[in-house]
Amino acid sequence: MESAGEGWTPKILAFLCNWCSYAGADLAGISRMQYPPNIRVVRVPCSGRVNPYFVIKALQHGWDGVLVSGCHPGDCHYISGNLVARRRFAVLKDLLEYFGIEPGRLNFSWVSAAEGEKFAIVVKDVVEKVKSLGPAERLVKR
Amino acid sequence: MVSLQNPVSEVNKVGSVLVIGGGIGGIQSALDLAESGFKVYLVDKSSTIGGVMAQLDKTFPTNDCSMCILSPKLVECGRHLNVEVLTCSEVTGISGEVGNFSVSVRRRPRYVDIEKCTGCGLCAKFCPVEAIDTFNKGLCDRTAIHINYPQAVPLVYMIDKEKCIGCGLCRSVCLADAITYSDKEKVTTLNVGAVILAPGAEEFNAKLKSEYGYGRYPNVVTSIEFERILSASGPFSGRVQRPSDGDIPKKIAFLQCVGSRDVTCGNSYCSSVCCMYSTKEAVIAKEHMNQIEPTIFYIDMRSYGKDFDKYINRAKEEYGVRFVRCRISKVKEVPNTQNLRVKYETEDGRLSEEEFDLVVLSIGFTPSENIKQLAKNLGVELNEYGFSKIQPFYPLETSKPGIFVCGMFSSPKDIPETVTQASAAAAKAGELLSSVRGTLVKKKEYPDEMDVRGQPPRIGVFVCHCGINIGGVVGVPSVVDYARTLPNVIHACDNLYTCSSDTQEIIKNNIKEYGLNRVIVASCSPRTHEPLFQETIKEAGLNRYLFEMTNIRDQCSWVHLHDPEAATEKAKDLVRMAVAKARMIEPLERLSLGVTHRGLVIGGGLAGMTAALTLAKQGFEVDVVEKNQELGGFLRKIHHTLEHENTQENLRNLVENISANKLIQIFLNAKIEDVSGYVGNFKTTITQGSEKIERDHGIVIVATGGEEYSPNEYQYGEDPRIMTQLELENRIATPDLEKLGNVVMIQCVGSRNDEHPYCSRMCCGESVKNALKLKGKAPDTNVYILYRDIRTYGLIEEHYRKAREAGVIFIRYKEESKPTVTKALSEGKEVLHVSVFDPTIQEDILIDADLLVLSTAVVPPKENSILAKMLKVPINEDGFFLEAHAKLRPVDFATEGIFVCGMAHSPKSIDESIAQAKAAVSRACSLLTKDVIEAEGVIATVNPNRCTSCELCMQVCAYNAIEIEETKRGKTAKVNSALCKGCGACAATCRCSAIDIKGFTDMQLSSIITAMR
Amino acid sequence: MTPQEGFSPDIIGFLCNWCSYAGADLAGVSRFQYPPNVRIIRVMCSARVDPAIVLEAFVRGLDGIMVLGCHLGDCHYLTGNYYTEKRVKTVKSVLESVGLSPERLLIDWVSASEGERFAALVKEFTETIRELGALGKEANCDIQQLKTRLAAAKETLTRDRIRWLVGRERELTEDKNVFGERVTQEEFDQLMFQTIEKEFEKRKILISIGDDALSIKEIARKMEASPGKVLRNIVSLEHDGLVSVVGIEGNSPKYRRVRG
Repeated sequence: MESAGEGWTPKILAFLCNWCSYAGADLAGISRMQYPPNIRVVRVPCSGRVNPYFVIKALQHGWDGVLVSGCHPGDCHYISGNLVARRRFAVLKDLLEYFGIEPGRLNFSWVSAAEGEKFAIVVKDVVEKVKSLGPAERLVKR
Repeated sequence: MVSLQNPVSEVNKVGSVLVIGGGIGGIQSALDLAESGFKVYLVDKSSTIGGVMAQLDKTFPTNDCSMCILSPKLVECGRHLNVEVLTCSEVTGISGEVGNFSVSVRRRPRYVDIEKCTGCGLCAKFCPVEAIDTFNKGLCDRTAIHINYPQAVPLVYMIDKEKCIGCGLCRSVCLADAITYSDKEKVTTLNVGAVILAPGAEEFNAKLKSEYGYGRYPNVVTSIEFERILSASGPFSGRVQRPSDGDIPKKIAFLQCVGSRDVTCGNSYCSSVCCMYSTKEAVIAKEHMNQIEPTIFYIDMRSYGKDFDKYINRAKEEYGVRFVRCRISKVKEVPNTQNLRVKYETEDGRLSEEEFDLVVLSIGFTPSENIKQLAKNLGVELNEYGFSKIQPFYPLETSKPGIFVCGMFSSPKDIPETVTQASAAAAKAGELLSSVRGTLVKKKEYPDEMDVRGQPPRIGVFVCHCGINIGGVVGVPSVVDYARTLPNVIHACDNLYTCSSDTQEIIKNNIKEYGLNRVIVASCSPRTHEPLFQETIKEAGLNRYLFEMTNIRDQCSWVHLHDPEAATEKAKDLVRMAVAKARMIEPLERLSLGVTHRGLVIGGGLAGMTAALTLAKQGFEVDVVEKNQELGGFLRKIHHTLEHENTQENLRNLVENISANKLIQIFLNAKIEDVSGYVGNFKTTITQGSEKIERDHGIVIVATGGEEYSPNEYQYGEDPRIMTQLELENRIATPDLEKLGNVVMIQCVGSRNDEHPYCSRMCCGESVKNALKLKGKAPDTNVYILYRDIRTYGLIEEHYRKAREAGVIFIRYKEESKPTVTKALSEGKEVLHVSVFDPTIQEDILIDADLLVLSTAVVPPKENSILAKMLKVPINEDGFFLEAHAKLRPVDFATEGIFVCGMAHSPKSIDESIAQAKAAVSRACSLLTKDVIEAEGVIATVNPNRCTSCELCMQVCAYNAIEIEETKRGKTAKVNSALCKGCGACAATCRCSAIDIKGFTDMQLSSIITAMR
Repeated sequence: MTPQEGFSPDIIGFLCNWCSYAGADLAGVSRFQYPPNVRIIRVMCSARVDPAIVLEAFVRGLDGIMVLGCHLGDCHYLTGNYYTEKRVKTVKSVLESVGLSPERLLIDWVSASEGERFAALVKEFTETIRELGALGKEANCDIQQLKTRLAAAKETLTRDRIRWLVGRERELTEDKNVFGERVTQEEFDQLMFQTIEKEFEKRKILISIGDDALSIKEIARKMEASPGKVLRNIVSLEHDGLVSVVGIEGNSPKYRRVRG
């Protein structure tokens, strides 16, 4: 792991649901909205697919922050998967905080297929937030 | 039943259908037909399909993002093997006969090759000629070479020849060599068995109402313009800004009925959708910018649809949208600020004036000249407004046999009704052509799949330049070099366009040459391109799931234009992550399920019978289960329609037809005891008396209907002069109707209250109908209709106008001051004393009624909840069945193979019930016409050794796809592969990692996560 | 207009190597006298004179510019001067948009044998400029605003789409376009004017915003333009990723330039 020295930039793992947020990220691209290049996207069928364990695993393996983004409430392609996800991450966030992980490392958002700009803003915000927190070293296995 | 169709020799019929209009209606018709064995030509005059829905920001009453729900349908249509999309095309003439038409189609030149254009947009970036962006309603500009919107299908640019100066720059910059200036107009002839008209309607030209200042004042916009203003992909990126100075308007006025209910502009009908869409726009505006204060100026609030009143109430209570009942006289601009002063007359006759920052005109819809010309070319008769002429019992048939109609072209309607009619029109075409089903459809043949089990992964990586879209930012060659260093990567190369047809050949050859058993494409979005590449590897003998895609364009090169180095690093990371997953992926099977070619219809009313007969006409066996001893349901109580059709005669015909049909088996006095199984394979237990009957069904249609509310208001039942509207109808139908002096009708009895918060939709039309009948029989009868809002939507408005002309007196009452009825003596006889507060004169009005008629609510049958549990489908708070999606899946349930129609869904009229019944059949036919259906490959699986049967997975599954099964080794969760959609909520919930999702396994996702370094 | 007291204009003359420069030489050899205000820049062909260079010269404060080439038909490079003619017309219309007199730019033809004509042209042009006065006198604005507008005009002329149109004008209007049709000069001029106008407005907006974050109304005030028009152009700039909204103050979204 690099230290938070000069030139350090965070690496952020984003789980985007296939139907809304991934499409929103595509629209950001089509509209050429610029956002920081610190994010790596993993496409999942639904935000409900994201196991809390994946988040912990990411923090163990050197990712500095995680973004999980799904459809807006009511828009879920799978009816209610996003609501399941929301409940799950509210709990996880508390738990991580208990471990001493800053809550800002785990981010949850709703981005629809028409919200390219919102996606770009979300990424910017998350990158800023994680940048200010510095590298996530607490859970990293050495 | 009068058959409108000529007998046609079956041998001459053609198994293809032409659908005119590529809006949501046309798309739905096309998909339904293509899925049930017909070749479809989908013609649209625009350069893309999608219609008006593509321009909308959100949709009511769910506030769904319009594009999110539309775009998968667009993609499906564009890719369907048996849907041929013909854009820039218009139908110019028709000849031949029902079942075998020749239709001539004129295609305007597009000047861009549909096969070659990749939609990268480089041409538009350089094009020197600007034009007004008509898709964005003139709020901004576009270039002469353009696409209407980024999600367009086909995603192919088009040159606006009117504007283009022919400079040639687009051809110089196009790397796909797609620009063809030599493109010429072409006329082709299509041979089709039937035609479906779904051309939609045009927005009312607001300039015709000059008193509102549209076109003169910049801050007066139409509702469609406002949709674009609200849209996140609109000109202002979803910020609500006003055109004069870009400021966020604080006070917004919505003026209703602009170009609707207005004889002065020729549109005396109601446009049906404006009350709801403007409320939605007000709510969404408020959601976008909280400082906005919207006000809606209206005459009657026509929120007559399912869950619409709830939406209006939420708008009032949660969002603070202000509703003002009034008539608008004028809009004037305030100099300097360019604000607008709205002058209006309130209900009690006071003149008021108020200043607003922005005025939105809720414009109605009208048939365009273009559409009228189309009707002329096809020989289809129009009514006085220019809509297609239809009859209530044949809502989908034009005057010309073999040509069917859906959507706005028969009358203004909203998206779900359009979609319903579109499916229904598809069913009509299917009935006509069922003998030639499957004769013209293509089926693709693939080589046998190679068995790659046990082989080490041999990965091929194809990195796309996308012209310069990727290569201009990301160092593609270095990404390729990097990919070669990754484990198990046998081959890596770059392509100018990985999606082009020549590259598909390269991929196939490389699979053979290098013995690849996993393929990765690093290019654009899998949402649009994954199926293409999966198809390619399938053609090379690989299982389609041995494919992985990573997006280095939309989510890399395009969003990091100014940082090529970081973008290249990111692209390498993305490729490494894709390789990490690809090493873990396995071939997946799609489970094939057999289909029982028999349908079950629950309910023998109008909807149920129509559904049964339609299914039988399509060639399928049907069982109809009716709880009463007679067929007919609610319709038995209705004697005639507003249009003077004899309902009872139609009902008799229907019962005769259904009884005579050999494919239909009717179970009277029967009920459903149990339903188990899943799509294609339901097992139903029917009880008839003491007998239990077991039947197999492929699909289930729920048509349990509605019932008349029995009021306990207004002393109903205590006096023979107090009756319900249906009882009055029955009395009118008797030949010896005695002379009636004063008849008072009270609307909304049992509707729109705490017990039944919904609108029963049909009662306003029903009382107008009966009032007109009474006036017709005895013109000196005084008819008073006491109402809350008159909801004579669509063309029914005309009858409301006629009723007023005939002297029927309409008095509004407020919810909080309902009319009171007391018995009193007047001139020696006992009369019913009706007192109501009239808000226009601000006084109580007293009427001595000889007859008091209650317009009672339609309520759902109590058995709905039992049936819902049995079928595992939801019902809403009001007790009606809840469809899978309020907008685009109005007759489907989330559970595949089960459909809903008629009043079981919500109160509705005869034509609407018929359309919905046929729509349910159309949807059912896309399953019943198949011998096997393929289930999803990406589904959940259970490891029984780990499962503790805690049932958590069951609780989160929205599809009821998980059950707990008793095995020898104890209880364990079991996934029904036919029902599972693969969302993964169960896997992520499971406490002991017993459930996993094929294609997105824990291992695969973890390997991506750990590929960080 | 009366000539400015004691005003001596600075003028640049772009002369083509083969005709006009030789003509100027001949004027010298023949000792034809002309005013000393002109500084001559030799170019191989008048077609080399990039519209952006002309604007650059004005940005640097020159009062007038002459572009002299071979007579039409005599061009050493066959057709170069035809292009020059079309191009100068475009630059003149840009000057008008800026608020400058188009007379500040002169295009004319001088052959190698027309020494006397050269001297006469210089004399006449110097006089014209002297009468117009120092750069911007006619523009009715302060020097800072003029500079802003000139900078915007220069950027306008460096835009791909404008340059492509400028380059293709002759072919489109005199031969055929890609559809095999002739574009009339009128149609072309109209398009050119619109395109320039639009680009110019957009560049002005960018320069007006500078490093600030401004609302539509503030930009409009700075530019003395209608806010509605500014909004329309801002939409286009936002679409191109050149400006973005950074916040909302009161009821006004604030726009800032996006720096690559």
